[in-house]
Amino acid sequence: MDIWHAVASWTWDAHDETCGICRMAFDGCCTDCKLPGDDCPLIWGACNHAFHLHCILKWVNSQTSQAHCPMCRREWQFKE
Amino acid sequence: MTVDALSSVCNLGVLDSLSGASISEILESWNSFCLITETIVKGDDANLSTSYSKFQSDVCSLCKYGLRSLVEEHFLLSLQGMSEKHGAPNFWKNFDAYNNVPDSEMIDRNTQEDEVELLLCKALEEISLEKQYQEKCLLMLVNSLQLCQENNTSTEGHPLDMEKIFFSKYRLIVSSVLMTTMPRQFTEILHSYFKGRLEELSTIMVGDYDDDNELQDNNRPTNMDIDGTYDPKKTLENKLVRNIGMVVHNLKNLGFTSMTEDAYASTIFLLLQAKVYDLAGDDYRTSVLESIKGWIQAVPLQFLHALLDYLGDSMSDLSPKSTKSPLASTPSSCYQKSGKPSEGIIRWQLRLEYFAYETLQDLRIDKLFEIIVDYPDSAPAIEDLKQCLEYTGQHSKLVDSFISALKYRLLTAGASTNDILHQYVSTIKALRTIDPAGVFLEAVGEPIREYLRGRKDTIKCIVTMLTDGTGGNSNGPGTGDSLLEELNRDEENQERNSLDDDINTDDKQTWIDVQRWEPDPVEADPSKGSRYRRKVDVLGMIVGIIGSKDQLINEYRVMLAEKLLNKTDYDIDTEIRTLELLKIHFGESSMQKCEIMLNDLIDSKRTNTNVKATINQLSQTAAESREHGASFDILDATIISSNFWPPIQDDDVKIPEPVDQLLSDYAKRFHEIKTPRKLLWKKNLGTVKLELEFEDKTLQFTVTPIHASIIMQFQDQKSWTSKNLAAAIGVPVDTLQRRINFWISKGIVAESSSADSNDHVYTLVDDMADGGKSVTNNEVLVADDEAETSVASVEDQLKKEMAVYEKFIFGMLTNIGNMGLERIHNSLKIFCATNPVYDKSIQQLQSFLSGLVAEEKLELRDGTYSLKK
Ligand SMILES: [Zn+2]
Ligand SMILES: [Zn+2]
Ligand SMILES: [Zn+2]
Repeated sequence: MDIWHAVASWTWDAHDETCGICRMAFDGCCTDCKLPGDDCPLIWGACNHAFHLHCILKWVNSQTSQAHCPMCRREWQFKE
Repeated sequence: MTVDALSSVCNLGVLDSLSGASISEILESWNSFCLITETIVKGDDANLSTSYSKFQSDVCSLCKYGLRSLVEEHFLLSLQGMSEKHGAPNFWKNFDAYNNVPDSEMIDRNTQEDEVELLLCKALEEISLEKQYQEKCLLMLVNSLQLCQENNTSTEGHPLDMEKIFFSKYRLIVSSVLMTTMPRQFTEILHSYFKGRLEELSTIMVGDYDDDNELQDNNRPTNMDIDGTYDPKKTLENKLVRNIGMVVHNLKNLGFTSMTEDAYASTIFLLLQAKVYDLAGDDYRTSVLESIKGWIQAVPLQFLHALLDYLGDSMSDLSPKSTKSPLASTPSSCYQKSGKPSEGIIRWQLRLEYFAYETLQDLRIDKLFEIIVDYPDSAPAIEDLKQCLEYTGQHSKLVDSFISALKYRLLTAGASTNDILHQYVSTIKALRTIDPAGVFLEAVGEPIREYLRGRKDTIKCIVTMLTDGTGGNSNGPGTGDSLLEELNRDEENQERNSLDDDINTDDKQTWIDVQRWEPDPVEADPSKGSRYRRKVDVLGMIVGIIGSKDQLINEYRVMLAEKLLNKTDYDIDTEIRTLELLKIHFGESSMQKCEIMLNDLIDSKRTNTNVKATINQLSQTAAESREHGASFDILDATIISSNFWPPIQDDDVKIPEPVDQLLSDYAKRFHEIKTPRKLLWKKNLGTVKLELEFEDKTLQFTVTPIHASIIMQFQDQKSWTSKNLAAAIGVPVDTLQRRINFWISKGIVAESSSADSNDHVYTLVDDMADGGKSVTNNEVLVADDEAETSVASVEDQLKKEMAVYEKFIFGMLTNIGNMGLERIHNSLKIFCATNPVYDKSIQQLQSFLSGLVAEEKLELRDGTYSLKK
């Protein structure tokens, strides 16, 4: 055997398939990005809900006071 | 005849008033007049002068008694009688030999042409002499009558008028006698004569013309210059023309004016036609229009010029001709001695050129299919055709003829979709030269598009043609370039040449603008001239076959996926270039997914290096612990963002344990590096290069993982039943049987039946020489199964998506019987307004329906679908 060229797909190790904010697939990218993967990463909150980083940042910035998780309404904190 | 005639004709009342002496004088004069008339008309020239004074006094005395009309009538009747009894029969007798010869045969016999010429000349000379003599007789009568008139001072009109009247009466008599007795074959004889003479002239002049051409075209003295008598050729030519002129002149004098003109005109046209056929032939790679025009100048026009010149000189004193065919050019009026071409010649030139254009055009239209097959090498023929059509305006002829050629030659089951597409593209390229606005192209293209829409592999072939330059079918100049590449090059050239030509407001203006630019030297090649034309949107016309660019892009994506998944290196330079071109034509956003796919490959290469480097570094010990395990050196991975790829066939397969171990280590490492991302292997996909070692040789193969897994099972166990082997690999038995066929066909595995009739036994062939299917050493063999693709085809995807509508379609067809495509489309839109919503294009529907037709579930006849009974 000389070369075994295998094929794989990557996926985010998340429970959900789509981002709760932009409704796009995690394995895709947010509405502002063109390239998925490292260029449009996911981020988890302390509540274990995941979003596109760009999406949650937009969300957080749009909130006047303390931001809450769009899914569970708990106070939003980035998971350590 | 004399007295009887007199008594029968004369008014008895007149006789009553006459004295006896008068009566005897009349009788005496009449008898004498009749006698002399008979003698001289019979043609004894000697009598003409001797009997003149007696004749004259007889005429005078008869006139005196008011019998002038009788005299005239009798004289003319005598001349007519002579013509009828003698002149005409003698003249026609010359041609008796040709009486029963079939027309065509006679014309074709060259040996007879000289004979005909001599015969015709001789006969014409004879009859002309006779006529001259008779005219002399007539003049004698005229003179006598004039003399009487002077004595009588009666009011019989002007003497010159009288002469004119008599001569025209006489000419009418002669020509009507000849016409009524003319034998059928005389027209053919005339044709034959002119054909022979013109061909002779053509040979002389063509030599002339070619010589001139070789010298210098621009300084060539005008061919109209026929007075260059220093040239021996010219002398010969002048002699010939004079000879022909004489014949024409004599024929005209006998009243054959229009017949003669018809004869030489049709001969000229026939000769011109033959010349066009001869020059044009089946050679499409040179332009012939100029040579044809040159020939028209050199031969027929010069002939006509000389002929009219000759006739003009010799006929200037003749009375105006009564009958004039439209072709006729009155010599006196149309030739001026100034030397510039007369109106008649110009009219001839226009007629001849029109005829030549039309002939060449018909010839080219007839062969347009072949010409387009030969395009762009045949560009000169296309250019000729363009000019012809501009002149004749018979574009519709081209459209009709070409469409029927297409239907007959191209749009048949035997022609491959690829060939049809290439012909379509060549047609567009060729016809846009002729038809920059694309009007006729539209009409010609429609049947091809219509036909291609009914073929299942059309989209695939289009995509291949557009994006793949290596598909050996491109017969264009840039072999190895994809069509997109070529189109792009065209466009760049166009842009370079029309920087300020932003808006194509007016075709004509654009055309003028385009012509204003100096082409750069390389592009000055006439065969590439079409590039400077206003662009007919080639790509648009190709996309028009499918209906929408989205379908085309979708198909490309599937093909791209297939190609990328089967790569063993990460070399995607050509794909990147193609994507750039596609982005230019279809817009960046349409190509977004394809771009991500390519990006995945680039990322994969980086990640692959990264993962392998760190794995070897970190787990030196781990690697060693895998005793006979495989090293990471053999493993490469392509990691895809599956959301952006077309649906991928995901069949599970058990790959050899050592490789499987490598994969999970690899995935683990990836997860470490790229947390929180992880890898999901598609173990059935990819490519394996392997080497099989036998006792006496080694063989190399490039195969799919399933193939590799199969053959590697034989390393430890030489013989397997199909059930066991399928279980070992983790695939259904039928999949195994399909895949293992590859190894059987290579003579590496042998198949035999077992005790269980449902089972087969596969055995590794040890001694390859025995297998009879010896394979050359070290040959790289690729398992290339067309049917085994990694990616679900567009067709399959569509079929899945359309399946929900199938029962609606069947329902409608059951109720209604048969329906056209459009009606089905519209009905589905109405019935499936909610769940499931019908959101497909009419092209997608058509493609789905043609799938059902192929499966023999539906029938398509005359454009309507019905259930297959
Ligand atoms: Zn999002
Ligand atoms: Zn993003
Ligand atoms: Zn939450």
